[in-house]
Amino acid sequence: MMAYAVALPLVAAFLLPVLHNASRWLGILVGPAALVAVLLVVFQSWQPAVLPFAMDLGGFAPPWGITFYVDALALLFCGAVALMTLLLWPRDEGDGDADALVRRRSLTLLLAAAAAGLALSGDLFNIYVFYELAAVASYGLAAERGTPAAYAAAFRYLMLSALGSVIALAGIAIIYFETGTLNLAHLSLLAGELQGPTGMAAFLCLLVGFGVKAELFPVNAWVPEVYGVTTRRTAGLLAGLVSKLAVLVLVRLLVLVFPQEGLRDALLLLGVLGLIGGELAAWKARDMTRMLAFSSIGQLGLVFVAFSLPGTAGLVAGIVVAVHHMVLKPGLFLLAGQWGGGLRGLAGAARRAPLAGLLFVLFALSLVGLPPLPGFWAKFLVLTGLAGQGGGLGWLAMVAILVATVLEVSYLFRLAGRLYSRGDDEVPAAATGGGTVTAGVFGALVVAAVVFAPALWDEVQDMGAGAGDAALYVRTVGPMVPTMISGGAP
Amino acid sequence: MDAYIGPLLFLGAAGLLAIGVVGMLLSNHLFRMVLALVIAEAGVNLMLVLAGYRWDAVAPILQPGVAAQPMVDPIPQALVLTAIVIGVGVQALALTLVIRIREAYGTLDMAEVRARMEVDVAAAGGGEATGSRERPAGGRPLPGPGALPEPPR
Amino acid sequence: MPRFATVLFLAGFAFLLFSLTLTLGFGEPPMRAGQGVLDQAVAGTGAANAVSAVLLGFRGLDTLGELSILFAAATAGGLVLGHRRPGGDGPPAGAILQAGTRLLFPLMLVVGFYIVLHGHLTPGGGFQGGVILAAAFFLPVLAGTGAGPDHALLRVVEGLAGTVFILIGLAALWTGGVFLEPLLVDRGALHELFSAGTLPLLYLAVGLKVGAELAGLLAHMARAGGGEA
Repeated sequence: MMAYAVALPLVAAFLLPVLHNASRWLGILVGPAALVAVLLVVFQSWQPAVLPFAMDLGGFAPPWGITFYVDALALLFCGAVALMTLLLWPRDEGDGDADALVRRRSLTLLLAAAAAGLALSGDLFNIYVFYELAAVASYGLAAERGTPAAYAAAFRYLMLSALGSVIALAGIAIIYFETGTLNLAHLSLLAGELQGPTGMAAFLCLLVGFGVKAELFPVNAWVPEVYGVTTRRTAGLLAGLVSKLAVLVLVRLLVLVFPQEGLRDALLLLGVLGLIGGELAAWKARDMTRMLAFSSIGQLGLVFVAFSLPGTAGLVAGIVVAVHHMVLKPGLFLLAGQWGGGLRGLAGAARRAPLAGLLFVLFALSLVGLPPLPGFWAKFLVLTGLAGQGGGLGWLAMVAILVATVLEVSYLFRLAGRLYSRGDDEVPAAATGGGTVTAGVFGALVVAAVVFAPALWDEVQDMGAGAGDAALYVRTVGPMVPTMISGGAP
Repeated sequence: MDAYIGPLLFLGAAGLLAIGVVGMLLSNHLFRMVLALVIAEAGVNLMLVLAGYRWDAVAPILQPGVAAQPMVDPIPQALVLTAIVIGVGVQALALTLVIRIREAYGTLDMAEVRARMEVDVAAAGGGEATGSRERPAGGRPLPGPGALPEPPR
Repeated sequence: MPRFATVLFLAGFAFLLFSLTLTLGFGEPPMRAGQGVLDQAVAGTGAANAVSAVLLGFRGLDTLGELSILFAAATAGGLVLGHRRPGGDGPPAGAILQAGTRLLFPLMLVVGFYIVLHGHLTPGGGFQGGVILAAAFFLPVLAGTGAGPDHALLRVVEGLAGTVFILIGLAALWTGGVFLEPLLVDRGALHELFSAGTLPLLYLAVGLKVGAELAGLLAHMARAGGGEA
């Protein structure tokens, strides 16, 4: 069943240009229809009794074929992919270019299919393929505006991302040299062979490769450039969704194949650097779009810090932080799009659009971490986890999080003050409409998280426990033939 | 003999990869960066093929009338085929972007393209290029549009 | 200063690669998954070519993803280059070039389709053949004797070929199997053209799709290159 989550958006993407030529309405409807169908499939599969389960695509048992591993976490991300793509569905930008609109929608569907594949896949090379699909689709979307700056930013993004992909592929080659398999469950059984420096090298290669999309510290130079030149919907999609799926892949690798302590510390350090660097740059940013872009780097730093915590606590904290950011950031980007992003249009903007202003304050408060809002729980979980872990790095990370929070308060409320300032009669930047409604949906999700917090808490606990259980993963994927664990070439 | 040839082949592949990565990071010319990407991908593909190679084996294709022999691992060969096609797609897209950048900015120099892009991005965001001495976002109003450098066409 | 960090990273990366030379084993791969694939290739997919068996059977999803990547690249390329009028024509093609193009076109078509359809028996398959097909249709553009393939037609071909690949995969799902499971494997003897069940059909879809995507990308670039660039 879950194969539909990948297959349906792909079919829709392939057929969209053809159908658009045949009938205008068919062309408009086919994409959202495919995404709604994916949502239905996800809801239907969400039965705690049968989760987690594995699917052998092509009917070949692991490790020969490709495995899809379906657990609550993967389903959550699949559902989020379909929902967010629906909410951030590319709209007509009013330039009257129907052909470009069809292409942008095709690319968005391909992105959705790739993201679902990343969430489900249990095969290292298959993950690489879906990662590349997401990458190529996002290169196209990065250049969607058709301005010279968009081309330049897309090219720089492509080069950095392709560099990462090449290095990730080298990492996969090293793993294949060592173990002769690509199935994650099989690799988990063979994790002992990847304990040494060779395995470490392979993980670093994969970290650099998948870290590009995850906005990991040293390879995130593309973030402010790309988010500055795309439509805000694309920026929301890349910052909210694609980055989280890259993180999910890295987490799966950490849990299953590379459980070493040293690697977690490396992740923690990179996360702290990203957090501080991103928030500082956001504090210094001079327009709302780039402020949000840098803040996104900072938030993903926090996600990495959370996931670097050992055990279930780390996974729970990581999931909460990641999902929280996944909901907030597109909402904020949509508001930025609404206000044109430029500071000159922002003065008094909230007074002219009260609902949008209210949403901004809600998102800002949650991002900072005011108690009843989900952002508070996210930071609380990370901080308690770090306190429990202790150690020099743990304390460093705690200080970093507190400093980052102070920075967030400073720049977000400076902006809020500007939004509510009076006396400026300047004409606001042209509002594009529609963005506030979608941002409202994201705001409703935040409020819903507050209302249903206890139920969600239980769900997240189970999800984290399930995702952190490498033995469960291996058991679910299926028994490997014993000779393949020990044996080498005949 | 075999003891040396394996590392030697790997060194060749790794060397291509290293040359490509160096070129991508240090080159300042858009087209050369794409070429460096091609070289790096060739290197990593060779590494993958080598991961499944066996000295004593034949290609993994059954020939009619030939007795079964040990065969090399077919999986890396399939992976490389996939990786090559992926690489071709990425390279083609990179070249289309290069064509457009060349049209828009009239140069293939990365530093120049980057500088002009930053000016454009800042103008689109309504702020100023990085490195401005003005107060950050939400501070006092920015100077009028006249203070912004005009994006060159 | 960033330069310095880059050089440092490069030095580290090169050191990593070259130190791997000393630790990795060569020529005797573990073949943990590979041996099983070799043992099951014929029974599972009916293909004599184990690489094709892996591409379309064991790892069919990778192939689907790869087709999607080509589609994404072609779509993004079209988005970047937009629709533009063909630029100024180059000098007219000479008699030799024109005659050569006309001579080569049918030959390349035959070779391309041969390679596509024999992918499950001999080295080759949808990708290799598809590239030759794309080259055949692109030859007139290079020689300056024609306008290249029709865009609307290419769109239909690439859309339908991709859909057919997925539909064959879904057909297995609807008949009680798993997505992308090879069907009808036991029909036809090994080493015959009509064997390996749905594999040749899949390869045909792959070949047409690859051909259409590449031809589309090249045509876009040729049009862009026609102007001052």
